[in-house]
Amino acid sequence: MSDLAERLAEYARHRLPEASDVRVSDLDRIHGGASRETYRFRLHADGEPRRLILRRDPPGSLIETERAIEFNAYRAFHGTAVPVPEPLWLEEDPRWLDHPFFVMQELPDLEARPQMVVAPPYDAHAEKLGLQKWNILGEISKADPAVLGLVGVMEPVGPEAAWQRELAQWERVIDEDELSPQPIIRAAIRWLRAHPPPPAQKISVVHGDYRTGNFLFDTEGRIHAILDWEMAHLGDPLEDLAWGINRVWCWARDDRVGGLLPKPRAIAIWEESSGLRADPDALHWWELFSCVKGQGIWLSSAKEFQQGKNQDPILALAAWMQINGQDRAALELLGELR
Amino acid sequence: MKPEIERVLEVCAIGLMGDVAPHVSPSYRQATVLSTAVVLTSVREELDRIAERRVVENRALRELFRDALPAVEQTALRDRLAAAAGESDTAFRISELEAANARLRGLLIELHVLVESLDSPQAKRVESRIWRELQASTERRKLSLDSF
Repeated sequence: MSDLAERLAEYARHRLPEASDVRVSDLDRIHGGASRETYRFRLHADGEPRRLILRRDPPGSLIETERAIEFNAYRAFHGTAVPVPEPLWLEEDPRWLDHPFFVMQELPDLEARPQMVVAPPYDAHAEKLGLQKWNILGEISKADPAVLGLVGVMEPVGPEAAWQRELAQWERVIDEDELSPQPIIRAAIRWLRAHPPPPAQKISVVHGDYRTGNFLFDTEGRIHAILDWEMAHLGDPLEDLAWGINRVWCWARDDRVGGLLPKPRAIAIWEESSGLRADPDALHWWELFSCVKGQGIWLSSAKEFQQGKNQDPILALAAWMQINGQDRAALELLGELR
Repeated sequence: MKPEIERVLEVCAIGLMGDVAPHVSPSYRQATVLSTAVVLTSVREELDRIAERRVVENRALRELFRDALPAVEQTALRDRLAAAAGESDTAFRISELEAANARLRGLLIELHVLVESLDSPQAKRVESRIWRELQASTERRKLSLDSF
């Protein structure tokens, strides 16, 4: 770790050539960022300490993503109605820290763990958290990717083709990563192809992993930042809404999606905030798609762990906890869970 | 007699959570210990049924294939279904039961694709039976920690 701290300090000196006494202290890896290695640290420069976050690509990860897309998403939304940490530096040259990485502001003393929204003192603020969560997603969906400067950064897609691209991508992940045949999710994929959704109302920035667990909140129920934009892309805004209401995120084990609000209320808040409509048939398609996508992620994590590419136990835990639940969620949406 | 495997895993998981994790730093290492303990808890729950689930499911799939044969006119697939239906598990190592299960579930996908494309009452009955089996397969795999 001390070697990493010194190399990080060397990089900071490179980025801050005018600064004096540049050094790194308190470097501490944070758990849970299976798609990136995540560290908090203090950067001292000109006698001023600043609390920062380092996100570095690991050798193997839950999902293979472009670090530049995540960094640019933070940069695009910083200072808007969508709260995010301030991004500072993106570095894709592996000579500095062996893998690409970026550095951003740390927002300390906040909670992100999803199971905490159903535990005191946070559970008393479920309504407040849910209201903000779905309002913020509405802001993301409403935003113009061109105005945000994300056209050209993210791969373009048309309203007619968004669903096809996403389904093809996640089917490919399952093709490559399943360790054994998956009859339920294969049936879901066939259903999705046989019943295509209507074209997207608009092409939005899609966060790609918008769920409880990917935002920072405090003990008063205030959301301070939306995190983990590594799967962000352009697409149908219903994709994010559907992902967020997936049954596998019902942390309270009741009908509250994301452990916060009942599904109809979450949808109504998003519609009000985004100015868009969640057509029930189209949303149903995207909900079933979110089961395919989820299963792609869990099957990939199982394969990474099994093959030893990444042996963080969080990968084994994700697979053990989610694969069967994701299958059941798909069965429910297909009307086959009785 | 040695302590039972489930008891060993239970004690190890409790020990990791209660005795070890609180004294581990930095926070990443502590969370890793906790994740490991939760995985052990799930493994312990799975252990008691680990062979039975596969034996029961393999038997159910073979019965389903046998009953589906009249609805399948494609000779090649029918022959493979008939062959699978005529087999039984004779090796009870988990790796061998799992390999058989994977072969059978792969064949189930092929059968499912076929009957979805057919309109005959026989095919619809098989399709309905497949859905019931798929639901049952998720019941067999349920763990207390499952999200849904």
